[in-house]
Amino acid sequence: MNPHVITAKSTLDKKSKINNTLLERHQRNGNYFWRIISLLSVFLILGIIGFVMKLNSGFSDKVIWGYYAAMFAFILTTAQAAPMVAIAPRLAKAHWRRPISRTAEIWSIVGLFNLILFIPILWVLPSLEDRRRSLWFWDAAPGFESVPVFSPHIWTTLALCSLVFIGIMLLWLSALPDLALIRDKGTGWQQKVAKKLSKNWIGTSKQWHWLYHRLGILGALYFAMMVFVHFLISIDFLLVLVPGWIDALLPITHAANALQAGVATMMLTMFCLRKFGGYKDYIGYDQVWGLGKLLFALSLLWFWFWFSSFNVFWYGKKPNELSVIDLLTTGPYLIIFIGVFILNFVFPLFMMIWNPVRRSFWGPPLIAVGVIIGTFLDRIRLYVAAYSVPGIGDPNVSKHALPTNSLPAHLPEISDIFIMLGYISGSILVFMLATKIIPVINIWEQREVTMYEVHKKFHRTEVKILGKPD
Amino acid sequence: MQEHIQLNQKEINDIALSSVLETPKWWLPAVLISFGFIVTGLAAFFYMVYHGLGVTGLNRPVFWGFFIVNFVFWIGISHAGIMISAILRLTQAEWRRPITRAAEVLTVFSLMAALHTPLFHVGRPWRTYWVFPYDFSRGVWPNVRSPFVWDPSAVGTYLIASTLFVIICLLPDLAIIRDRTTGLRSKIYGILCLGWRGTPRQWKMQTIVGILLSALVLPVFVSVHSIVSWDFAVIAGVEGWHSTIFAPYFIIGAIHSGVSAVATFMVVMMWIWKGNDRILRPDHLDAIGRLLIIVATTWFLFLFLEIAFALFTLERPEIALRELQFFKWPFSGLFILFLLTSYFIPVPMWMFKNVRRSLPLMFISTILVNIGMWLERFLIIIPSLARKTPFAFDWGSYTPSIVEILIVTETFAFVIFGLLMFSKFFPLIPLFDIKEGMVFRDEIKIGRRTVPASIRE
Repeated sequence: MNPHVITAKSTLDKKSKINNTLLERHQRNGNYFWRIISLLSVFLILGIIGFVMKLNSGFSDKVIWGYYAAMFAFILTTAQAAPMVAIAPRLAKAHWRRPISRTAEIWSIVGLFNLILFIPILWVLPSLEDRRRSLWFWDAAPGFESVPVFSPHIWTTLALCSLVFIGIMLLWLSALPDLALIRDKGTGWQQKVAKKLSKNWIGTSKQWHWLYHRLGILGALYFAMMVFVHFLISIDFLLVLVPGWIDALLPITHAANALQAGVATMMLTMFCLRKFGGYKDYIGYDQVWGLGKLLFALSLLWFWFWFSSFNVFWYGKKPNELSVIDLLTTGPYLIIFIGVFILNFVFPLFMMIWNPVRRSFWGPPLIAVGVIIGTFLDRIRLYVAAYSVPGIGDPNVSKHALPTNSLPAHLPEISDIFIMLGYISGSILVFMLATKIIPVINIWEQREVTMYEVHKKFHRTEVKILGKPD
Repeated sequence: MQEHIQLNQKEINDIALSSVLETPKWWLPAVLISFGFIVTGLAAFFYMVYHGLGVTGLNRPVFWGFFIVNFVFWIGISHAGIMISAILRLTQAEWRRPITRAAEVLTVFSLMAALHTPLFHVGRPWRTYWVFPYDFSRGVWPNVRSPFVWDPSAVGTYLIASTLFVIICLLPDLAIIRDRTTGLRSKIYGILCLGWRGTPRQWKMQTIVGILLSALVLPVFVSVHSIVSWDFAVIAGVEGWHSTIFAPYFIIGAIHSGVSAVATFMVVMMWIWKGNDRILRPDHLDAIGRLLIIVATTWFLFLFLEIAFALFTLERPEIALRELQFFKWPFSGLFILFLLTSYFIPVPMWMFKNVRRSLPLMFISTILVNIGMWLERFLIIIPSLARKTPFAFDWGSYTPSIVEILIVTETFAFVIFGLLMFSKFFPLIPLFDIKEGMVFRDEIKIGRRTVPASIRE
C-alpha cells in the first residue's frame, strides 16, 4: 500500500491562502458590526438602569432577586458552557471542530462579565446561620461546627474565579499562534495588541509541543471545573433554598443542561458567522452535522435526567417531594414547565429525526434557538421559584418541608426585564468585542487540517481521507 | 503509535473462522466443566423448589439476597454490547470493529442469565406467567405499576433487540461459513443466513438495519437499567434506595462493569484462540482502557453524589444506614474492598499506557472491576434491608446458603457455557466488519511521519 504523500508545495499554498483570507476577515471592520455593538450597548445601559433600580430595593427581600439569579445561571449555562464544544472534540481528535473551536473558546471570556455580576447574588444569599440543609453540614453534623458560615459564598466564588481563569487561559493559549500571525502580518491597533499578547511565540517544535500539551490539560481542567461550579451553584444557590428538596441528580442535570445549552449557543453562533460573518467557506455541513448530533443526544439526556428525578418523586409519594413537584412542575410554573419540556426535548427530538430538517443548514440552528429559549425559561422556573420561597435566612421557618399551600408565580418587574435585556446584550457585546482582538476562526487549526486531509479516488467516487495522529 | 496491520480477506477468514471450523483441545473440557456447574446449580435450584425458600439465607427482614444482587449484576454486564456496538457504531469509532460481536453475544447471554435469576428468587417459578399482561380466568389483571411487570417487559424487549442485533450482524458471516462448509452444515448455515448473497441491495439493507437497530436499541438500553434501578428507588420506605440519582448511577455502573467484562473477554480471546491476536491488538485494549478511565471516573462521581446526598438529608435512619455500610463489620470490609477493586486499583493502573496494552494486567484490572461492581450491588441491597427500622420487630444480617452460592455460580457457568457454544458455531470476530475496516483504513505521510488515516471520520 502506498501512503498518500502530502507535498510541501500544495500544503504551503493552502496554508498561505488560509492565513491571508482569515487575517483579512479578522481585520475588516464592517458597518453592521458597529451598528450591532451600538444597539447592544443601549440594551446594556438599560440593564444597568434596571440593576440600579434593583439595588434601591436592597438585598433583604430575596424574592425580588430571583430573576437576577436566573440570568446569572442562564449565562453560566449557555456562554460559559460553550467552550466545551472546542474541548471535547479536540480531546477526541474530531477534525470537524476546527473551524468553530475558537468561537467556542471566545465565549469563555463572557465568564468575566458573569463573574462580576455574580457579586450581588453573594449578598442576597444568607449565611448558613438560618440552619438550612447545606452541602457544608454547618453546625449540623459532628466535626462541622467550625465550618465558616459563609462556606457556600467562599467556595463558589473561588470555583467560579477558577473557571473564568482557566477559560481565559485556554483562549489565550489557543490563540497564541494566531496572535503571532497578526503580530507579523497584521496592521493597526490589532497588531499592537497582538504583539503584547503573543509573547515570544515563533512556532518552534518545542513551543508547539508545549501548546498541545497545555491545551489538553486546560481543556480537561475547564470541564472538571465547569461541572464543579454547576454542582455548587445548583446546590448552594438553588436546591437548599427549597425546604424538602433532596435531589441527588440535580447537580448532574444542571451540568448536562449546560452542555446542551452550550452546544445550542455554539450552533446559533456558528449559523450567524456563516450567514452574516462571511465565513461560508469555513463553516460547512460537517460542523452543523457534528453539533446537531450532540444537540440531539443531549436533548434526549435532558429528558432522561428530568424523568429520573420526577419519577422517583412522583412514585415515592413523600410529602416533601410532592410539594417540590407542585412548586416546580405542576403548580404555578406549569406553563413555563410545558414550554421548557417542548423546547428542550419534544422540539429537538421530532425535528432532528426529520431528515429534511436535520440535513439543512437552517434546521439545527432553529432547534438551537428553541433550546436556548427553553433553557432560559428553565432557569426562570427553577431560580425564581426557589428565591420566592419564604423564610430563606429565617432560622424560625421549617427547612424540612415547603408550606402546604402552593406558592404563587412571581412575575417579572420592569427592572427584571431591563436586567434580562442588559445581561444578555452585555454577554453578546463582550463576545463580539473579543472577536476584534482574537480571530473568531482558529487560523492555525485550519492550516493544520490541510496536512491531515487528502482526497483519493475510491471505486467510482472520490473520498476524503483524514489522518488521526496519536 | 497506532498499529496498522493490513490483512487480506483470506487471512481474516482463516483467523476468524478457526474457532468454528476447528476444535481446540481445551474446548470440550471447558464446555464440560461449565456444564457441570450448570447441572449442579440446577440441582440446587430444584432442591430449593422442593424444600422451599427456607433453604436459602433469606429471612426477615432481608428478603432480597444473592439472587437479586446477581440479577442486577448481569443486567449491568449486558450493557456492554450496546455500549460497544451501538454507541461506538453511531460515533463511527473504528477501533470497535473486532470486539463488537463478542460484546453483543456477551449481552445476550448475560441477559439470559439475568432473566432466570428472578425466576429462582420468587421461589414459585411455575407462576412466572403471572407477569405477562393478559386477563386470566379470575379476571385479575397484572398490576402494570408493579416492577414485576416493568422488569420482564424491559429486559425481554432488550433481549429481543440484542438478539436481533446479533443475528443481523451475523448474516454475511454465516454466508461465508455456508460457502466454506459442505453437506448438512452447509445446508444449516444456508438456512440461517437467510439467502445472503452479498448483493448491493442486501448490503444496503444490512447497513440500514444495523444503524436503525443501533438507534432504536439505545432507548431500550437506557430504559432497562433505569427500570431495574427504580425497582429500588421508588420505594420511599427503605433508606439508601430512595434516590433520584439511581437511574443514571445504575446505567453508568452497568457500562463500567460491562465494558470491563468485554475487556476481560477480549484478553481471553487473544489468549485462547489461535491467530486472534493478529486482529485483536493491544491497540484495542488501549482504546478500551482509555474509555474505561472516563466511564469509571464518571461512575465514581455518581457514587460520590449518591453518598453525599444521603448525608445531606441529615435524617437519622439514612445516617444510621451509612454507618452500617461504612463502619460496621462485615459491610465495612466489603465497602473498602468494593472501593479498591472498582476504582482505586484499576483506574490508576489504566493511567499507564503499558498497563493498558498488557494482556495480563488488563485481565486482572477488569476482573477486579467486576468483583467490585458485584459487591456494589450487594452493598446497595443487603445493608438497606438488614438495618433496624423504626417499626421493625426483627432485624439482622444475611448470610447466603450453599444453595444460593451454587445457583449464583450456575449463572456464571451459564454465560461461559453459552459463549463457548456460540464460538463453536459462529465466529466471535465479525468478518465483514473487519474487512470493511480494512477498506476504510489508510495511511498518509506527513514529512517523515506516517499517520494512520480513515476514509471517514
